[in-house]
Amino acid sequence: MKKWICLIVIAMMLLTLPACGQKEGSGELVIYSNSLTDGRGEWVEEKAKEAGFTVTAVQVGGGDLANRLIAEKNNPVADIVFGLNTMGFESLKNENVLLEYVPEWAGEVEEGMNDKDGYYHSLVKQAILLIYSQDVYSEATGPQDWTDLWENPAFHGQYFLFSSLSGGTTRAVISGILVRYLDENGELGVSEEGWEAVKQLYDNGYIAKEGEEFYALLAEGTTPMGQMWSSGLAAREEQYGVKSYYAKPAVGVPYVVEQIGIIDGSSNIDEAKKFLDWFGSAEVQGKWAEEFYSLPANKEALSFAPEYIRAIDESLTVQDIDWGFVGAHIEKWAEKIELEIMR
Amino acid sequence: MKHIMAKMKKVNAMHFLFLSGTTWLLFAFLIFPNINLIFETFFQDGRFTISAIERFMKSGRAMRSLKNSFILAGTLAITVNLLGTFIVLVSDYFKIKGSRFLKIGYSSTLVYGGIVLASGYLFVYGSSGVITNMLMKIFPAMNPHWFEGYGAVTFVMTFALTSFHIIFLSDALKNIDYQTIEAAKSMGASSWTILTKVVLPVLSPNYFAITILIVLTGLGATSAPLMIGGEHFQTINPMIIRFSKSIASRDIATVLSLILGIATIFTLFISKIIESRYHYMSVSKVKTTLIKQEIKNPAVNILLHVSAYTIFLIYVIPILLIIIYSFTDGYTIATGNIRISSFTLQNYTSLLFQPSSYKPYLTSIVYATLAAFMVGALILTLARYLRSGKSFYRSVVDYALMTPWLLPSTLIAMGLIVTYDTKRMLLFGKVLTGTPVMLLVGYIIIKIPFTLRMTNAALYNVDHSLEEAAKSMGARPFYIFRKIVFPVIRPFILAIFVLNFNALLADYDLSVLLYHPLYEPLGVVMKNNAESQINPNAQALVLVYSVILMLISTISLSLVYGKQKKVL
Repeated sequence: MKKWICLIVIAMMLLTLPACGQKEGSGELVIYSNSLTDGRGEWVEEKAKEAGFTVTAVQVGGGDLANRLIAEKNNPVADIVFGLNTMGFESLKNENVLLEYVPEWAGEVEEGMNDKDGYYHSLVKQAILLIYSQDVYSEATGPQDWTDLWENPAFHGQYFLFSSLSGGTTRAVISGILVRYLDENGELGVSEEGWEAVKQLYDNGYIAKEGEEFYALLAEGTTPMGQMWSSGLAAREEQYGVKSYYAKPAVGVPYVVEQIGIIDGSSNIDEAKKFLDWFGSAEVQGKWAEEFYSLPANKEALSFAPEYIRAIDESLTVQDIDWGFVGAHIEKWAEKIELEIMR
Repeated sequence: MKHIMAKMKKVNAMHFLFLSGTTWLLFAFLIFPNINLIFETFFQDGRFTISAIERFMKSGRAMRSLKNSFILAGTLAITVNLLGTFIVLVSDYFKIKGSRFLKIGYSSTLVYGGIVLASGYLFVYGSSGVITNMLMKIFPAMNPHWFEGYGAVTFVMTFALTSFHIIFLSDALKNIDYQTIEAAKSMGASSWTILTKVVLPVLSPNYFAITILIVLTGLGATSAPLMIGGEHFQTINPMIIRFSKSIASRDIATVLSLILGIATIFTLFISKIIESRYHYMSVSKVKTTLIKQEIKNPAVNILLHVSAYTIFLIYVIPILLIIIYSFTDGYTIATGNIRISSFTLQNYTSLLFQPSSYKPYLTSIVYATLAAFMVGALILTLARYLRSGKSFYRSVVDYALMTPWLLPSTLIAMGLIVTYDTKRMLLFGKVLTGTPVMLLVGYIIIKIPFTLRMTNAALYNVDHSLEEAAKSMGARPFYIFRKIVFPVIRPFILAIFVLNFNALLADYDLSVLLYHPLYEPLGVVMKNNAESQINPNAQALVLVYSVILMLISTISLSLVYGKQKKVL
C-alpha cells in the first residue's frame, strides 16, 4: 500500500513540476480577471483562440486581484486585466500598474465611462439597485431612494446590509450615498451630515452574519429590502420564487463599470494591444452580452443584451459620481465605516 | 558575540554548514520578508508613524472584538481541554461499550473545520435548524435565534478543537507505562487518584503543546464568530483578514496581528516556564501496554456511557447534515426547508464531470504533499538541534521560527511577493514572484510554527537514556535517529503531516496571492465557484466541495495514520 502511495505522489510531482519556464515575449497572453466564473474563462480562451490569440485566463476574486497586481508590479505575470470596476482600476492607475493605451473602440463607449487619461476603458456596466420584495411592498409603499431606509421608521430593521465593505456592490452603494454630501473641509472629503447619514443607515439596518443569503431572507420576508446588481436579478428571482421592484431615485442609481487595461511591464505589449482592440469590439462584447446576460458599455453592442436587462437600464438614470474621487477615497471611507460607524 | 565566535571555531565543518544554512533559511524566508513589511507599517514616507494604532484605538468595535478574542481564547483553553480529555479517556482509557465506534465520531472534526463546520452546527441549532424546529414546536414563544453569541461560539469551537486531543493525547496515553498504574492500584489508589496523580501528569508536555494551539486558534477564531457570534460577539481576526486586503488599511491589520502574535508568544513563554518547573517522566525502560480500565461504580458507569453517546451525537449530526444538504439545491440550504423534491444530484454532476475539474485537486494534492513533507523534515531537523542543548543562538532560532504567527497569511504572502520580485543576492539572484515555487515556499512558511510546537511535544516522548546508551555503544547520530528516535515519534510525525496536508489542501488566503496562473489550487477554485455572481446554487457547491475534501482528508488520515494505530 505504502509503495503505491509513494508511486502516485512521485508521479504527480513529475507531472506538475517541470513547467517552471517563464514565457518571454512568446505572444502568449496571461489575463487576470475577477469576471471569469460561470464558463466565462473558457469562453474567452476559446473565442480568443479562434481569433488567433493564445490566452490563459486566470480568475482571481475582486479584492485579491488588485492586491496581487500591485504586489507583482515589479515583475508582472499578467499582460491584461479586466473586470474590476472603475474604483479598482483607479487604484491600479494610482499605483502605476497600468500602461496607457486607447483601443480602437474607445469612441463607441458611452460618454464619461472610459478613463480620461487613457489607462483603462469600459466593457460592461451594471446598475446597482435597491430592491424590495413584491410580497411585502407595492411600488408606492416601498422605498424610493436609499435615504428612505433610515428616514422612514417603518423600514427600520427591514433591510439587509453586509458586515464588511469589501464587496464592489456594497462600495458602490456607499459611494452613491456619500457623494451626495461631499465637502472639502469634511473628514475624508465628506460632510458631517454625510457621515451621520451612513451612521443612520447602519444603525437602523439588519447587519448580516457570514453565510446568510440575502435572497433567502428576502423571500422569507425577514429583510424584504437590500442591494442587488442588475444582471443578477433574473436568476435569483427564479431560484427563490420571489419577485421584486427596484427603487428609481431622482438622483439616479450608481452604475458600476467593469474596465479593461494593459499591465505596464507586460512582455507582450503589441499582442496585448491587439487583444484589447478585439475583445472590446462591439462584435465580441455583443456576443459576451448575449451569452452572459450583461449590459455592454459599448453602445453598438447594446442591442445584443437580454431584453429584461435593457428594460431595467432604460428605466433608470445614471447617478453623477466622480469615480476618480471615489476611487481615491473609498478605502479610507470603508475603514472609517467599519471601525467607527458600525456597532 | 566573541563568545559565539569562539564556539564557532570549535565546531566542525558540517556543523558550521548546518548553522549557516539554518541562519540563511530563517533570514531569507521568515525574518527578512516579514520584518520588511512590519517596518513599512511604522515608517511611511520615511517617517515613523503610529497612525494605525491611533485609528484602531478610536474604534469601539475593534477594541471590543479584540477583547472578545482574548475571552474566547481563555475560555477555550479550559473547555476544550475538559472535553478533549473526556473523549480521549472514553475512547482509549476506560472500558466503554462501542468505544471504537465512538472514537470515529469524536474524530470527525479532523476532516472538516472553518465555515463548513460552523454551517453544519447551524443546520442543527440555527434559526431554521433541526433542533430549533423541534424546540419551536414545544415552546412556540422561544427565540429562533437563540443559538448566537459567546456561548454558542464557545460551544461550536470547543467541539471543533478537540482534534488536537484525539491525535496527540491518544497516542501519548498509549505510551504510558502500565506498570505505574498497576503499582498505584496495588497501593490502594482509587481510579480518580490514579487518573489525576499518575496518568494525567505524565501527559503534561502534550497538554502544554495542545493548550498553546487552542489559545492560538481561539485568538485567531474567524468563521464561528462571523457566522454564530451575532452583533455582540465578534472577534478580531475577521477584521485583520479584511483589512490586510485593503491597501489603505493594511497597517491596521499589521498592528492587530502583531498584538495577537505577541500574545501568542507570551503564552508560549509562560508555558515554557511552567513546563520546565513541572517535568514528569516515565522512568521505566520496559514499558507495558495500557489495559483499558473498568469502572466499578455502576451509577458512574451508566452516567459515563450516556454522556459518551450524547457527545457522540453532538459530534456527528452536523457532519451528517452537511452530507445530506450537499445533495439539495441552494434554496433548501438557505432556508432549511428540506423536502423530497429538494434532493438533486446536479451539484455533484456539475462539479465532477467537468473536463477541467480534476486538475485543481491534483495541483493541491501535490503542493500540500510537498509542503507538508518538507516542513516536517525541516522542522524535525531543527527541533532535534534545538533540544540538543541550550544556547543563545538556539533561542533566537526558536523564536524566529515563530514569526509566521505574527502576521496574517495575506501579509506573509505580500511580504514574499514584494521581497522576491527582483533578483536578490539572498536567493542567489533568483526571482520567485510568478514561479510555481512561490506557493510552495508560502505553504511551508505558514506551517512552520504549528509543526515546530507539535514536533517538540512529540520529542518529549523520546527517552534520552536510550539515545545515550546507543551513543555510548558507538552508534552514529543518524543511526540513533533512525533506529531509536524515529520509531517513537513516528505516529506523531505522521499525524502532523496529515494535519498539515489537510489544512493546506483548501487554503485560500495565501494561495490566491501566490499561485501560478497555470496551477490553480483547490481553495481558489472553490472560492471562485462559491462566489459565482450568476449561479444562485453557489452555496450548494460549497457543500459539495466540502464533502469531497472530507473524503480526501478521511482517505489521507486512514492511509497514513489509521493503518498504523488501527484507530480510525
